[in-house]
Amino acid sequence: MIQTLKYYPDTSINVNAGPVRDFKESYLLIYEDIVDTMKEKELTALSAIQIGHLYQLMVIKEDKEYVAYANPRIITQKNIFDSTEICSYFHNHPITVKRYQTLSIIYEDEHGNMQTKKVDNKEEASTFQRMIDYLFNTTLIDRLPLHQKEQAARAMAGKGDMPILEENAFCPPESKKVYFVSVADKLLFFMLVSLFLPLFNISKETLSSWFTYDKVAFPMVIALMVGFFIFANYEAKKFKQCTSCQVGNNIGVVLKRVIFALVCIVSAYFIVNPN
Amino acid sequence: MARLIVMGGGVSGHTAATFARKWLGDEHEVVVVTPNSQWNWIPSNIWVGVGQLAKEDVVFSLAPVYEKAGIDFKQAKAVSIHPHGNKESDKEYITIEYTGQDKEGQTEVIEYDYLINATGPKLNFDATPGLGNGKGHLGEHTVSVCTADHAVHASLELNQIFEKAKKGERQKILVGTGHGMCTCQGAAFEYIFNIEHEANKAGVRDMLDIKWISNESFMGDFGMGGLHMKVGGYVVSSKLFAESLFAERDVPWIIGAHVNKVEAGKVSYELLDGTMGEEEFDFAMLIPPFAGVGLKAYDKEGADITSNIFAPNGFMKVDAKYDAGAYENWKASDWPRTYQNPDHSNMFACGIAFAPPHLISKPASSVNGTPINPTPPRTGMPAGIIGKAVAHSVCDLINKGKEAHLHEASMAEMGAACVASAGKGLTSGTAAAMTVYPVVPDFEKYPGTGRDTDYTFGEIGLAGHWIKHILHHMFIYKAKLKPGWTLIPE
Repeated sequence: MIQTLKYYPDTSINVNAGPVRDFKESYLLIYEDIVDTMKEKELTALSAIQIGHLYQLMVIKEDKEYVAYANPRIITQKNIFDSTEICSYFHNHPITVKRYQTLSIIYEDEHGNMQTKKVDNKEEASTFQRMIDYLFNTTLIDRLPLHQKEQAARAMAGKGDMPILEENAFCPPESKKVYFVSVADKLLFFMLVSLFLPLFNISKETLSSWFTYDKVAFPMVIALMVGFFIFANYEAKKFKQCTSCQVGNNIGVVLKRVIFALVCIVSAYFIVNPN
Repeated sequence: MARLIVMGGGVSGHTAATFARKWLGDEHEVVVVTPNSQWNWIPSNIWVGVGQLAKEDVVFSLAPVYEKAGIDFKQAKAVSIHPHGNKESDKEYITIEYTGQDKEGQTEVIEYDYLINATGPKLNFDATPGLGNGKGHLGEHTVSVCTADHAVHASLELNQIFEKAKKGERQKILVGTGHGMCTCQGAAFEYIFNIEHEANKAGVRDMLDIKWISNESFMGDFGMGGLHMKVGGYVVSSKLFAESLFAERDVPWIIGAHVNKVEAGKVSYELLDGTMGEEEFDFAMLIPPFAGVGLKAYDKEGADITSNIFAPNGFMKVDAKYDAGAYENWKASDWPRTYQNPDHSNMFACGIAFAPPHLISKPASSVNGTPINPTPPRTGMPAGIIGKAVAHSVCDLINKGKEAHLHEASMAEMGAACVASAGKGLTSGTAAAMTVYPVVPDFEKYPGTGRDTDYTFGEIGLAGHWIKHILHHMFIYKAKLKPGWTLIPE
């Protein structure tokens, strides 16, 4: 039976589909629903979840045959490339994502028997990955960096263009935000050093100079931490996934240094201040 | 007076014994038989394994805690169960062999009225040639974080790898599961990211090739069939989450893998698609599969009845449906509710020691017929909850009589939370906090996914690390039976 296709922004497909458990009547009904819908909408591939069945079943039209792939898994993947894809869920808007060209897939056929399939063709590999993504609660937009998701959402609403794939989809191994922390840490180190100076026989003038340093360094540390927080959050939006960019991490980094700076400046007022 | 014997002093056994002691009056006796002198908060072993905690931070001596609680502690391993007694007496008993308390090697017979089997698993290193030493222990080629001592060893080995990396020698690190039928992927997941985190801190990350190997058929399965993660305000699948996490940290993966041989610096494996492969390493932490501890059971005449009481994998049979058949017939109701042995009403099993009726994840075999799938996790929160429920049942049977209602804790009706560390540090730490409900999917109640999607999700970040750290202290506090310990949930 022809089923209603899910279209963006319908979020009912945002769920992990369950495994196909038996290959009897219910399986055949779902398979027929998918094929009927594919024929009606002239689609070359469709996953069960796109028509509201929460099962890990997808069908791909190969020549004139509609081949079912139940519980598919990509076991190995190689040769990454940029793939520009269109999908009915996104109203056929082209979206470019990273895909692998060479795949080794396992799946179960219509009798529930394990089968393997090797794919080494960009178009076919993209289709498999896109369909399997749907079965695991992942759409094309989910594979975009965070800030591009928002751009894609605007494009879907007719405001602007679809984003262009960037190279840096993931958190960088070395972030520029560490420069803020590095400078702040050096300032804090010398603030800490100043607290020990009264232990030595140092002139009042020298102590006064160090206290001046403390008074200058303190607002600089605060400013650096403000700058760090703003830049870190800006930077986080560039990446699709970045655990070190979590706002909680940034808050922790800032709090630790601000508290340390406060302790230093208050201590310096009582210990280093010669007046 | 009734005597309850608890075999095992891990998360489940300790929970059962301590609650039973609290709920039973002084006229009844609680005996704990465990081969270990120390209790180990196993989830924190991964931090010992990267040198961030000392062994002493994750263990404590059981003897003083049990002495204070009024529990008779026997540092010994249980050897056999005699549920019908022997020719001379009908009284049920177990035999034990001491491993400590200055009685090493001595055997003893202890009669019981009620028996709780909470022995935990045997770490079955020898299931994979080369992973074990042929005598049931960890082999020489890899390390483990399954025990505190293993973790200390792993830390020392890892330190040497870091030292070599500092000298400019490129090092290969392999972490994951050492067999196709492993559980506890989470521990390996935590360990690989803690290594990566420490390598960054030590400034040697660029000299390390870190790789993941797992029996999961997809990234993010976690032995539970996957779940949702909330990342940056978006809901994504654990598959995408895990793939992204590994990709952003430059950790490639091998999945659907059954490690079938370990040699010096090399593992051989078979994948679900039937292909064979090899992977070289300088340092490898591979989780072993679990098996029962090898307890034997005998009838009154001394005949071996082990197969009546234990499943073929060595775990104790309880009130589960063991003849469910093919995958499509599996139901949530197959899973045990009371953990009572079907033939002996005074015998229970909890934690890893009970025999699950079947897998949780979808069963899978390679095209060559080799089973490659995660086995059901029964550690952590479910182990504690089940231990407490079993203790409650036993106490009611003792206090209210044999018609007392048994307490239930089915994993098919139980939610569980798990916090997986991905790096330790007050401000730089990260952990993935996950909840699943129910642990065992109920495909009748929740068609399709088998789980309540509102309560099955995860989130990663610094807050997760703080929770993990708090849990570390909280559960050790609870296990030491400090004031208010009963208020801390399992």
